[in-house]
Parts: sequence; C-alpha cells; structure tokens
Amino acid sequence: METSKLIEMRSATKEYRGVAAVKKVDFTLMSGEVHALLGENGAGKSTLTKIMAGVTQLTEGEMLLDGRPVTFMTPGEALSNGVAMVFQETSLVPSMTVAQNLFLGEEKLFNRLRGIYISAQQFMQSLNFQVNPWADVATLGAAQKQMVEIARAVRQNARVIIFDEPTATLTPEEKRHFFALIKDLRQRGVSVIFISHALEEALSIADRITVLRDGELVVSDTVDKFDREKIVQAMVGRTLSDDLYHSHGEDTVRRPGRKILSVQNLSMSRVVKNTSFSVYGGQVTGIFGLIGSGRTEAAKVISGIYKRDFFHGGEVKLDNKPIRYRTPRPAVQDGIVYVTEDRKVEGFYESMSIADNIHRAAQAANVSSSVFVSYSEIKEMAQEWTKKLNIRAINSNARVIELSGGNQQKVVIARSLVQKPKVIFFDEPTRGVDVGAISEIHHLINTLAEEGIAVVVISSYLPEIMNISDRILVCRAGRIVEEFTPEDATEERIMYAAVH
Amino acid sequence: MKSGRDAILSLNQEQMVIAISAVLFVLFSILLDGFFRISNLLSLLQSVSILGILAIGMAVVVIGRGIDLTMVAVMVFSTGWSFTLFAGGMQVEVALLLGLLLAVAFGAINGFLIAYVEIPAIFATLAMATVISGLGRFALVSSENIFISGDVGWFASLGAGAIAAVPMPVLLFLVISCIAFVALRLTRYGAFVYAIGDNPLASRNSGMPIRPMTVLMYSLASLVAFCAGLIMAMTVSSVNTKLASSTMVYDIILVVVIGGIGLAGGKGSIRNVISGTVLIGLLLNGLTIMNVDYSAQNIIKSLILLLAIIVDSLLNPRDEQTAQQGDI
Repeated sequence: METSKLIEMRSATKEYRGVAAVKKVDFTLMSGEVHALLGENGAGKSTLTKIMAGVTQLTEGEMLLDGRPVTFMTPGEALSNGVAMVFQETSLVPSMTVAQNLFLGEEKLFNRLRGIYISAQQFMQSLNFQVNPWADVATLGAAQKQMVEIARAVRQNARVIIFDEPTATLTPEEKRHFFALIKDLRQRGVSVIFISHALEEALSIADRITVLRDGELVVSDTVDKFDREKIVQAMVGRTLSDDLYHSHGEDTVRRPGRKILSVQNLSMSRVVKNTSFSVYGGQVTGIFGLIGSGRTEAAKVISGIYKRDFFHGGEVKLDNKPIRYRTPRPAVQDGIVYVTEDRKVEGFYESMSIADNIHRAAQAANVSSSVFVSYSEIKEMAQEWTKKLNIRAINSNARVIELSGGNQQKVVIARSLVQKPKVIFFDEPTRGVDVGAISEIHHLINTLAEEGIAVVVISSYLPEIMNISDRILVCRAGRIVEEFTPEDATEERIMYAAVH
Repeated sequence: MKSGRDAILSLNQEQMVIAISAVLFVLFSILLDGFFRISNLLSLLQSVSILGILAIGMAVVVIGRGIDLTMVAVMVFSTGWSFTLFAGGMQVEVALLLGLLLAVAFGAINGFLIAYVEIPAIFATLAMATVISGLGRFALVSSENIFISGDVGWFASLGAGAIAAVPMPVLLFLVISCIAFVALRLTRYGAFVYAIGDNPLASRNSGMPIRPMTVLMYSLASLVAFCAGLIMAMTVSSVNTKLASSTMVYDIILVVVIGGIGLAGGKGSIRNVISGTVLIGLLLNGLTIMNVDYSAQNIIKSLILLLAIIVDSLLNPRDEQTAQQGDI
C-alpha cells in the first residue's frame, strides 16, 4: 500500500482562554492507516481531532492536507475535504429513520422517500452492514448507530474517519463487529483515527499509536514498538500508575460501619430496575457500571433528584427510617448529597466566584441560616475550604469557570461537603481532572470514609474503582448484579459482570 | 477591526450604557432648546419613574432566569379593581388591600404555572396576560378609564407630592430600588435568585427550594406592579386599562435589557435598572422635545430593544462552549 502523508499537523497549538489544550503537537496521519490516539482525560486527544474535523481551529501552527495548508472553519468544510468525525455522543437524528439519516443534508426540494430507502439499502448491503434502513435510529443499539455513522461518512467519500471513544458503549460482541468494520475501512484505503482508553484495543487494531499527555505529544510510533507497559508509562509520565492506582493494596480494607442506607427493590421507569444494595458508614462503596447501566440514575433517585416509580418503586431507608424525596432539598437536609458527573451542567455557578459557589451551597442546606448574608462568613468559608481541598486559584474571587478541571471539581466537592453530609455519592469524581488532582481527590475520599461518612463512588474507570473501594458493586442493565471484596476483584471479573 | 471589537466588548454593558447616556445628555443639552433645565430634567425623571419601578420587578424575575409579560396587565387591573371598588363606596384602604392581594395572587399563579406545571415562563405569562386582561374587562372593572373621584387620603401624596422639589414618583422609584438592592444583595433569598438564574440544576441539586422561590419571585414582581400602578393612578388621578393592550411591557423589558441584566439570568443588579431607566428617559425626553411623533418613537424604541438583545446575546452567550467555537 502506498503510504503518503495525508494529514500533517505542524507545532499545532490550541488555547482556550489562554490555557493550552494542545501544545506544539507534530502529528502525522498516513493514508490508509489505523491510528490510535491515546492519553488520559484532558490530554488533548479530543481537541486535536476536533481541529482536524473543523469543529474548532488552531490558535498557532498549521495543518496540511495532502501537503497543502488548510484551515477548516466548519465540520462541513472538513467533510467536503474528506475528513469526517464520529462524535462520542452520536450526531444522528433519533426520530428519523436510518435512510433519512444517511441522506441528511442532501435532501432534494421534493424528497422522494422511496428512492432514498432503496439506495440506502443498496448502500448498506455494499458495506455488509446489517441495518434496516426503515428503522428509526432511536430504536437501534449503539453498534448499529455507529454503523450508520460510518456509512454516512463513507458515503460522503471521507478519506479520514475520526472516532472519539467508539468502543466505550459497546458490548464485546459489538466491539468485534466494530473492529471488523475498521479493517474493512482500511482495505478501502480510508484512514482511521480513533481515540480510546482501552489499550488492548489500540494494540490489537492500530497500525500506529500516538500518546498525548497534558496537551503535548509524548510518543508516536508504529504499533510493534509498543506494549501495554510502555503505553501506560507514556500516558502517565512515570513507570506505571502505581502510586496513583495501586496504593490501596497496602493499607487494610476498612470494615463496614453502621448500615446507613439500605435500598430495596428500587425502580425508576426502565432505567433502574428493582435494584437492592446497602451502604455502610466509614467505608467507600464503589459502584462500577458502563454508561447507561443505571448507576447514575439510582444515585440520583436516592438523593431526590429523580423520583422513583410511584407504584412498586421499592424502598429506601436512611438510618432505618423509610425515605421518599420529591426534590433534592429534603435529601440534602437529611444529609444525602450527590456530587455530579457533569459539573458544568449541574455542579457549579459559572458566573460566580469560588467563595459564592461554596456559600450558596451552605445557604441551600441551611448551614448558614441567617436571613442576611454575612460577607465575612462567605470569606471565611472560602478560605477554609480552599485550604482544606487545596483549591488552587489566584484568589477566592476567581470565577469557577476560569479554573482547571481539577480545581473546578474540588469546588463542586466543597459545595457538597459544606452541607455536612452523612452519605455522599461521587459520580465519576475524577472525570476531566488532571493527574495531580486525581490523587488528591482520591485521598480526600479516603479521608471522608475514615471520618465515618458513608461514601459511594460511581465510576466507569476500573483502576479507580479497584483502588478506592472497600466493597465493589457492579451495576448492569439497571440493577446491582454482583458484589466483590477488593481481595477477589480483578479487572476481568468486574468487567465480565458488568457486560454480561 | 478585531481589536476595535474587542475594545467594545471589553467594556461591560453598564459602562457602555453610562457612556451612551452621557453622550446623549451632552448632545441634547447642546442641540435641544429647553432640555437642560431643572424642570425638564425633573419631568424627564418623573416620566420614566413608573417604568423604572416596573423594571425593578421585572429585573428580579429576569435575574432568576424568567420573564414576566403580565406586569402591565396586573398593574392596571389590580389597581383598576381597587378604584372601582372605591368608587362603589368601599373604604380606600380596604379597596387597595384587596387590589394588592389580587395582584399577588396573579403573581403566585404565574409562579405556580412556571415552577410546578413547568411551563416556560414566556408562554405561561403570555397566556396569563390575556387571561388577566380578559378577566379584568369582564369582571373587575366597569369602564376602560376609571377616574378617581373622592378623597383617597394620604395616598394622594404618592403621586402628587414632592420633597425638596423632587417629585414623589422619583423618590419612590429610588426607595423601591434601595429595598430591592438590599433584598437581592444582602439576603439569602436574593442569593437564591442569582443562584437559580445562573444554574437552576445546580441550585436544585444543592437543595435550594427553587419552586417556592419561583413563586415568590413572580409574586414580588406582581406586588411591584401593583405599587407602580398605584403611584401612576395617584399621579394622573385615573387608571387607564387600555395600557394592558399597549406595548408597555416591551418598554419594561427594554429598560431591563439595555441596563445590562442578561436575559440568560444570574447577572446584573438594581444599578443596571437605574442606568437603563435613565438612558431610556433621556432618549424619550429628547425625542419628545424634537417633536418626533408617537409611532416614530415606537420604531426607535423597538429598534433599540432589538439592538440591546443582540448586544446581550453577544455579551452573555448562552453557553461558554458555543461562544468559543461558534455554533456548529
């Protein structure tokens, strides 16, 4: 196969508000290769690919396509130059059929539906995709949605298809199918870039691997130069992530304290199905589950954000008293708080300072109950918590939106801790958080458990769950299906329970 | 080009409004006969003080990420009902108390529809405005114009009096501004209004009583509308219910938006309302002196509203991410 440089990035730099997400990266994509892009959360993988796909533009440096310098202002422009991106959250229209999605944006003035179904079917067959063109996209599984996205990209004569974490939501069966698709694409001469967290996948399918760390390119080489050890080392910048993810092995597992929360047959529509578990004080209960397994929803039901089913909704007991919340307010007052996985959407106030953010949460929980606001109290509270959680900002008047992901997360955690919780749910506590802050947050979670608080950590990142938990619950299809002690938990066993 | 745009955007909206007001003030003083006179400036302030009071009520709601299109209807029909009862022989205090309770009830219904039935504020209050107007014409008031005859006691001084040559409505505007400022900046409820406007989901998750707060916000807006209506009735000795079908509610929004209170919620303060009120007052006064006719004034006002909303969406984009990348 001829190998010419298809896309070349020269000292590519992208800054958001003066913070570099990508720093002086030299990246090359050869034609007809499968290129894996690896790195931790926030390493700049998504940003780099978004630049190629025209979602965002370079601040400095240049991008060459076939040796010509190009700048894509829109995804449409990138697409017409043959660069397509399949996003993490799919960009299909759920209420339309497969065929309509396939031809989206190419409708003629008088759109003949029959015609597009026939050509959609022919096209899908030519790709060997088993997807019914008449089916509504909303009814498809994750893998089939991906097939539609790929088909759309191929139909638009894409020479480069970029996948952002394509396998995160797939079952092993679907994954195999997906890899077959990628091999098929390569045979057609299409270059593929895929972002992944799964190192084995990258090793098995990629021709070349590039590792990014903190926005910089660490290493880029053909796949035979890599093994798991070497990738991890490149990703975290030190030999294995030992002190990050395996420190727990040494200290003893905390024994369960008092049973604080007991959940019996909890149900909420079709997302949480008849699930039961208990949470004990003084230890960390880890809940592992893939996206869509109902773990977040179960936590939100318990903390009053969602309502459980009115009939047969099950029973939740806090300190042996049955509870049923219609809003989060009584839950917070009873000491159940939820630290969100999506801090930007429902975690903090972006136009407010750190101090105001923390104080607002204290007011909401009636921790500071006077009608008039005391500005000295706001200041003291901010000083106390920025020190306790080591929130790094120029001063406590800095707006939260200007902080790094790790510091934002610490503010969100401080907002919950100031409410003096008895039970605290951390949903993906280290998502989009830099490496340094991850260990700080893990340390904090351990400290909270030692203080006797019932801590629940929800995560879809196995090493995190294995490191931090004193008990591991596995959630699949809306219910807790298995419980492990740290001694008998292995990554394989947990994953097996989560997907089968 | 780019640096010019950045320089303009680096000013905050309040500074822009003050700058534009100053420019207008100087221009009018030089160009227009009879503008720069104490009597004219006082009548300028008096003419916009009712609008300013209404804008304070609207500001509270807008900061809490809402909008209240019923304010004018509430204003004329609650006070109109009071004075209809008064004309029918009821004691003035009782009549006004009933009117006030009616106004707060309308506000509470608005809040209930928005908070509990979860109708978007703009649709709920749009529908409620027609309901209130219809109900008002049908059952509350007897004629389009309710004249106030008879002795209303000390209430008369709310519209007519003056302290140190400053007309009462202007003073009341300042008093209500101060109360609203204290309530928004120095009390926990004010803090909740800003929090709900900034991020309702985060507020809910952290245990704020957002539904009761929403009801409170709209009730307050209606209470303020009643006060404005009372002051206006005392100034002109009548209640003109035709205002309910005028474009006055857009003038209120104009004052709020041009003052720099972002329609996206969570931003701005009472200071913005005052500067917005002054700017609109200057503009209307200047246009009146220039003898610009009413419909031309309306066009100018509406164009300014449009411009203010465009500037608002540039300065207070809906979402950090879309602002950085442009809409896809």
